[in-house]
Amino acid sequence: MSSLLRWLGAALLLAGAAFLLSDYHNDVYRKLLLWVTLALSYNFLFGICGQIAFSHFAFYGIGAYSVVIFLFQFHLPFPLAILLGIALCILFALAVAIPSARLEGFYLALATLALAQLFIVVLNEGGAVTGGPGGLANYKLPEFLGTRIRGPWYTAVIVLLLLGTLAVLWRLDRSWFGRACRAVRDNPEVAAAMGVDVARTKVTAFTLTSALAGIAGMVYAFVDNTVNPPIFGLDNAFLLLFMVIVGGAGRHAGAIIGAALLFLVPFVLSPLIGHHHVLVFGVLVVAAILLQPRGLVGLYDAIRRHP
Amino acid sequence: MQDFLELTVSAAASGCIYGLIALAYLLMIRPTGIINFAVGEWAMVGAFGGYLLLSKFEWPYPLGMAAVLVFMLVIGWLTERIAVRPLVERGAPLLAPILALLGMLVVFREAISVSFAPDPHPVPYALGIQRQSFFIIAVTSVVFIGVWLFFERTIAGKSFEAVAIHRRAAALMGINLSRVTALSFAAGAGAAGLAGLLVSPNVSAHYLMGVPLAIQGFTALVIGGVGRVEGALLGGLLLAFAEQLTVRYAPIPAGYAQGVPLLLLMLFLLLRPTGLLRAK
Repeated sequence: MSSLLRWLGAALLLAGAAFLLSDYHNDVYRKLLLWVTLALSYNFLFGICGQIAFSHFAFYGIGAYSVVIFLFQFHLPFPLAILLGIALCILFALAVAIPSARLEGFYLALATLALAQLFIVVLNEGGAVTGGPGGLANYKLPEFLGTRIRGPWYTAVIVLLLLGTLAVLWRLDRSWFGRACRAVRDNPEVAAAMGVDVARTKVTAFTLTSALAGIAGMVYAFVDNTVNPPIFGLDNAFLLLFMVIVGGAGRHAGAIIGAALLFLVPFVLSPLIGHHHVLVFGVLVVAAILLQPRGLVGLYDAIRRHP
Repeated sequence: MQDFLELTVSAAASGCIYGLIALAYLLMIRPTGIINFAVGEWAMVGAFGGYLLLSKFEWPYPLGMAAVLVFMLVIGWLTERIAVRPLVERGAPLLAPILALLGMLVVFREAISVSFAPDPHPVPYALGIQRQSFFIIAVTSVVFIGVWLFFERTIAGKSFEAVAIHRRAAALMGINLSRVTALSFAAGAGAAGLAGLLVSPNVSAHYLMGVPLAIQGFTALVIGGVGRVEGALLGGLLLAFAEQLTVRYAPIPAGYAQGVPLLLLMLFLLLRPTGLLRAK
């Protein structure tokens, strides 16, 4: 009961903050919440299950594009569009993960890199369906039960998305499946000897987190009310990986801290060095891996243990 | 017929480029198990080296090419020193150097994007535009014959192979593991930089050229098989022919040809995961 109250308190606090912010800050806040959501699910795949994939942001894009295309190009009802979007994410995820998980090694990383690259090409060449390089715009969130959610209320929807994602991942992490994922990460041979189906665990973790990214993308589609290819480029896939590494891979707190830090740093840095903050991120990641592989959360633990 | 011959020559030339990138992966994967996604960015650095020395400073081609090659060897050695050796010495899991190299990938790309304007930079042809394909094929042949002879005929090459087969046993036999690792990274950067220099007259040096090359090179490696030097070249040629025939004869927009590597990668992982050539 008390844990339910804690979730409720977090929801009220995070959503309540949106009503105090101006329009511009609300926009920044929404994107921060979305990045944290993505980092949380990516952390489950990379930090907890130990798989490198570059497609997480592409699945975010697949979710966003599919819901917009199903709703406004094919004029399907809202719930059906959402379900079809999720089904599409699962289908693509399975198609990439099943061949890649048959072998040991980092084939998933390469396959997902190719998938992410191809996704951008398809968006650009898609003609009227995807809107080409300009993407799709000028659509609005459909009315639901006679009302249209907007303004800070939509921020509250994103808060629910974040907490929902966290709750799912939290429960999974503490279940049999989460322990199997950690075992696969730390030592696949030992995991197999304990009766864990390594390939199936990898495929399931990848498909599940990709679907979560797709759902986040569907919510994103109505944040700016526009989807276009540059948003879903490979740069952001790397940024997501860096967020998790810098924050601390394998820990939910790490993903949250890393995402918040790397999302907010450019706002501080860009008046000083323009768009070169990515170079700073690259250096930061190499330094993190060399000096503090557990990330900022690990640094905090170390300080607390030896003050 | 004329058309088909031209297609064959140009596909063979692209295949050689992919083969060189695949070779760069292979040189590092075999002894260390580390897959270095930064090879594409190394190729880009090589291309920008070509732009700087050959287009801007107008050095004679052989001198410029040699300088780029030496520079790339140093870059590879430095990368190993910074991002790989400290982790290997500490006994970190294999994932750690791979992630550090991903960080280096971004460092390389952003360093170039900060230093040069974002538009494409021209790099001159070695022997004129008609002969570039033949030049690429010739240089690649020399590189592959050299690497093959090195592995088959020299003690140093055998020591690489020994490390690839069993690291600990090789170390007990007195092979210096860190020297082998450093050399494999230097040689990998050399091969990748050469590929970048050779391909750049056709595509121009651009800071985003790395990732597609990294994907194509790795696909070539999976097709050919990770175990054999010849496999890298064979895989590169097969991939290039598949791509060019798709662009030429399939009724789809040219951009979709970028889907060919992904499709072939999936097919080979499903049907023949060891690649065409098996390790001896």
